[in-house]
Amino acid sequence: MRLKFLIFLIFLFFLPISLSFASSEEGKLTFPTGPIDDFETFVKAFDSMRCAECHQDIYEEWKESYHSRSMVSSIKGIANFFTVGVPKEWEKQLDKKEIIKCLDCHLPQIKFASERLAREIADYMIKAKLAKGKEKDEAIARLKKLNLSCYGCHNIKIAATAPGITGHIEPNVIYTAGEGESDAHETEHAPILKRSFFCIQCHGVYIAPDGESTYCNTLSGSYVHSYLGRGGRKTCQECHMYRKDRGHRMPGGHDLEIVKEGIDFQAEIKPFRYGVGKWVPAVNVEVFLGNKAGHRIPDG
Amino acid sequence: MTAKDHETGKVLYTDQREYFEIGLDLDGYMRYGAWQIKEIVDLTLQPLDTRHERFFATFPKDVTEVDLSVNVYYYISGKKGDLIYQEKRLLSYEEE
Repeated sequence: MRLKFLIFLIFLFFLPISLSFASSEEGKLTFPTGPIDDFETFVKAFDSMRCAECHQDIYEEWKESYHSRSMVSSIKGIANFFTVGVPKEWEKQLDKKEIIKCLDCHLPQIKFASERLAREIADYMIKAKLAKGKEKDEAIARLKKLNLSCYGCHNIKIAATAPGITGHIEPNVIYTAGEGESDAHETEHAPILKRSFFCIQCHGVYIAPDGESTYCNTLSGSYVHSYLGRGGRKTCQECHMYRKDRGHRMPGGHDLEIVKEGIDFQAEIKPFRYGVGKWVPAVNVEVFLGNKAGHRIPDG
Repeated sequence: MTAKDHETGKVLYTDQREYFEIGLDLDGYMRYGAWQIKEIVDLTLQPLDTRHERFFATFPKDVTEVDLSVNVYYYISGKKGDLIYQEKRLLSYEEE
């Protein structure tokens, strides 16, 4: 009886949160403001499908991107951090403070997960790597529901790099690169979405709030110091979004078309006979490899 | 770059250049874990830069034709390499 009462209390506690992100009285989209403890509620709250009703084309582009599989595409590295890095090498407990060192980029909405839910999600990562059979499949299936969603870039990460300038983020505002308005949600123009600086917060060395650095990706270092330093002037968005209408597909190192676009290749081949008087067949090959990208190749 | 005897398929010469970065921990040991790496040795292709690589090979005197290929592979991980550029040439050393 006491157990049933306890379950009822827990249900009551989370009910307002689960209902609060559906839509406001004016019918506009709303999002959570407090911690969520239930996995499915968490998934629904930040699901990009919520945006697809009006932005189907962008949603389809995003579905093809690595952002849409930012958790399942990184199981090995993240699970290693959770099972080796934190508990064995650092001798620390795997709590939300440590979990967020990976998921602040791979799942920015982790900010709204309760301590318990953050650990549950970390457990799926570990099971996805180490478990076998059904348990592994179930963990992967759950991780597939988690990703860098629309809300991650268009709200949570907006003020992550320049909070002094961008100020407080309103949870129910969708921040956009354009200047249009929407009946479906509050909108605010955020020029930072057009700047490399915005991408750099995750596509570079990540510095956690406690000062720990994580080198899962070093692109931005070479962009800032080598590319800009040598006169390069393109933004990340110009090549990875605007060119060829790539949009929110944002192809990168996993896409051979854009990889090839970033490299120039030329081979000069000269066969001849070498060694005066005792001539032998010989060849001289001169190869020129040009990096046309805005960062080192390869990276990460 | 690989050169093979056109008649027998035997590899006469092969050489390669690799571009990559090496992650190091605070003690200077190579590491793979993102949390362990605090410094890199950068051996990659730098932006807006052209790398010039030179290959010179000699072959046995009796070889008359050589299949030469220059291949550029891109590795997204250590296991999966994709051929992104290739230049092939049949070199003839027939006596005139």
